[in-house]
Amino acid sequence: MNEEFDVIIIGGGVVGCAIAWYLAHFDLQILLLEKELDVCSGVSKANTGIIHSRSYWTPHTLKGELHLRSLSWIEQAEKELDIEFLKTGALTMAFSRDDLEFLQTLKERGKIEGAQILAPREAHTLEPMISDKIFAAYYDPETRVASPFELNIALAESAFLNGVHFILGQEVVGFEEEKSIVGVLTENGKYLSRWVVNCAGLSSSYLAQKSGDNIPSLRPLRGEYLVLDRECRGLVHHVLYPVPVGETKGILVSPTTDGNILVGPNLEPAEDEDTSTTKEGLKEVEEGGKKLIPSLPVSQTIATFSGLRPTLPDRDFHIFFSSRFPSLLHLVGIESPGLTASFGIAEYVGDLLHKRGLKLRERSDFVIRSSFPVFRKLPWEERERLIQEDDNWGKIVCRCEEVTVAEVKHALLSSPGASTLDGLKRRVRVMMGRCQGGFCGMRLPFLMAETLGLEERRIVKSGRNSFYLGEETKEVRSGASLY
Amino acid sequence: MPRSIRGDVVVIGGGPAGMAAALSSWEAGAKSVFLLERNEYLGGILPQCIHPGFGLQIWGEELTGPEYAEIFIENLNRTGVEAMTDTAALELTPERIVKAVNPQGAWEIKANSIILSMGCRERTRGMLQIPGYRPAGIFTAGLAQYLVNIAGYLPGKDIVILGSGDIGLIMARRLTLEGARVKMVVEIKNSLSGLVRNYVQCIQDFNIPLLFSHTVTEVRGKERVEAVVISEVDEEGNPLSGGEREVECDTLLLSVGLIPENELSRQAKIPLSPQTGGPWVDEDFSTDLEGFFACGNVASVFDLVDYVTLVAERAGRAAVLARPPQEKHILRAGEGVHTVIPQRIREGKDGFLFIRPQKSMKGVTVSFWEREKIFYQKKISICRPSEMIKLDLAQIPWPQEKGEIKVEIKGTEIQGIS
Repeated sequence: MNEEFDVIIIGGGVVGCAIAWYLAHFDLQILLLEKELDVCSGVSKANTGIIHSRSYWTPHTLKGELHLRSLSWIEQAEKELDIEFLKTGALTMAFSRDDLEFLQTLKERGKIEGAQILAPREAHTLEPMISDKIFAAYYDPETRVASPFELNIALAESAFLNGVHFILGQEVVGFEEEKSIVGVLTENGKYLSRWVVNCAGLSSSYLAQKSGDNIPSLRPLRGEYLVLDRECRGLVHHVLYPVPVGETKGILVSPTTDGNILVGPNLEPAEDEDTSTTKEGLKEVEEGGKKLIPSLPVSQTIATFSGLRPTLPDRDFHIFFSSRFPSLLHLVGIESPGLTASFGIAEYVGDLLHKRGLKLRERSDFVIRSSFPVFRKLPWEERERLIQEDDNWGKIVCRCEEVTVAEVKHALLSSPGASTLDGLKRRVRVMMGRCQGGFCGMRLPFLMAETLGLEERRIVKSGRNSFYLGEETKEVRSGASLY
Repeated sequence: MPRSIRGDVVVIGGGPAGMAAALSSWEAGAKSVFLLERNEYLGGILPQCIHPGFGLQIWGEELTGPEYAEIFIENLNRTGVEAMTDTAALELTPERIVKAVNPQGAWEIKANSIILSMGCRERTRGMLQIPGYRPAGIFTAGLAQYLVNIAGYLPGKDIVILGSGDIGLIMARRLTLEGARVKMVVEIKNSLSGLVRNYVQCIQDFNIPLLFSHTVTEVRGKERVEAVVISEVDEEGNPLSGGEREVECDTLLLSVGLIPENELSRQAKIPLSPQTGGPWVDEDFSTDLEGFFACGNVASVFDLVDYVTLVAERAGRAAVLARPPQEKHILRAGEGVHTVIPQRIREGKDGFLFIRPQKSMKGVTVSFWEREKIFYQKKISICRPSEMIKLDLAQIPWPQEKGEIKVEIKGTEIQGIS
């Protein structure tokens, strides 16, 4: 690509895509580079998915400032992206008189209308399944739940719709000075841009070091989770937080936008990018969840996973211009509440670039995204209507989550579209239900190959080498027909 | 608007249970029978079970899965049963309304009787909470069987199988024949989960190592499986420390149990048994909710498809007769019994009782208790959890007064294959 961009964004996580979406409101040539085969493939794919309310911001920090700034974007984001955050509200549960002070702090910090400290009986009226050992609980009506995938992908789609270029599977390895612009070096070439934003999540400090900047290496802190079957829907209605001990918000129990229950995360140091789960970690998560909900039905677990927090020693966000490349902006240490803060970060990044000279001329032709219908949520009349339009709406490919061929094809053919099985999962929830791909795993690789015109054996789960199928069987190799 | 139709009998699920039930409903005089199947073809899991071993009990002949299915498909073609393939039933109400979709449209079907025959699904890695990475290369055994026998692909080259269930054993042989290396089968219990004949024909004959009291405690490999860690376990199934070792492989197959698929039954508020995971049923395979019948693996996971056929035929007939509700005996699984089906006895004059023992035992006595006294005993030389004990209901002298009956199995425990 000989083209020169106004802005190159490195990283297609929720932060990178929020920046792309925000900057797409202006008259700019933007390129987003992502090293994985899909957006939402790193830190952003594995977190609790909570839009933490004002009560939970951290004063005197950049992350706190951007958290607050982000909250004022919620309604606009919902409208422009055609998504809806689930306004569940939250209960922070105190188990001793000493914890009461913390609840008071939350209340004062939030100054949220309707927020209050509840006696155990009142808390039980709201959430009958919570522990009777609680001393008090802080109720906050503003906490929301997001699908981290839906938000990340909606941001990417909206950015694409408004002219942002995406190159996936292209890892950035360094930077080069090119007169007054920056050359972004990847494995396969060089992209030129006036401005560059490094929001590469776990790789962000490595890239900052590559540009000659002095920043400590990230310390990934892992968090493990349990996902409970949708049959558990209604077990909890609010996000349940414990009173935290130490550096994080602790192990939560939360409803998800799709009706599952999410339990986690714990906190443990992780080597490198180790996203494995451990027996001890999962046990700790189970115990943490049971502290809040003693009857937590862990036997209804359908999946476990872990995510990484890309943390710096001071646990704050670090957003700064490179000392060697004056138009290269680094975002390092974007951990929790990164999802919540993503809109605020995007706006802040825009401001910083603007102050250094990036011209932000608002476009008059910004297009509002409309999300593709979700079969499972449609009334029957609408289902009938869609099937008459396209019979792929009448072909259920994933029974657990009731996903149709029409939705899968759309996810494959949209932009930036799914090119991996996990990418499909994050867009339309196939393989995410209780059978975890036991049934739809028979169909999807073939539907994907057919729709995208790929060889079946090239279909991958997520990474370039995560091939789903092995060799062809002897019959097929010998040219025999199976039918 | 969804298209509305009415049926005498609606059968949900076109596997062996659903096919037999639909057929026998038709033969018993049902005026209209709809058979709903989500796949493009009837037969459920049978078409991918290309190994022999089906049909011995009911026809005294050894057939493959596709052959077994074909008999029913041909018979169905000769009836007025309307087989709706490619049709997914999505909603079920207690008023016996099924809502379904297929490429023709959205359907609302009101039925006089509904037969549930949705079968079961496989237990997954997520349910077992096996720690480690989440790479490609982890398959349930049934999914792998589909990939090999229907889609024409191997799941991988170097394979470890967790669980000695039948599909896992069958796949060990199938994959070996296809040129893959099955490195071992590991079983957390100290005895076989599947049928002994499958052990002999699929494991022993191919010199595949089978390790009892072992399990997989970690999956390694970020993109594709690179290895699994296996550990010895104690009697409760907890890994013993120090007993771990890494086994290199690119594929992990799971054959660790089946779960009856009762999402629709729950929607219709049909009472379910915590033991079987399926509806409580009587010898007609009538559930506790009037007008609903459940047969095959949706009611309780069966060991042989032949038995599924037998019970489905009863359900199909009963769905047409629609006998009024009446007081029934209630069977409870006592000591040594994993599940018993049916769990309700209406009269006990005909039909069968299937008992799945908890452990492998020899010198077995099956006892039936009414309150404090045993009213019937049956001696059996050997029993295994993988094989159901089948009794004729008519052999058992059921008490006059309807009440609770406890079934118990006692014997000397045996380990390994024996």
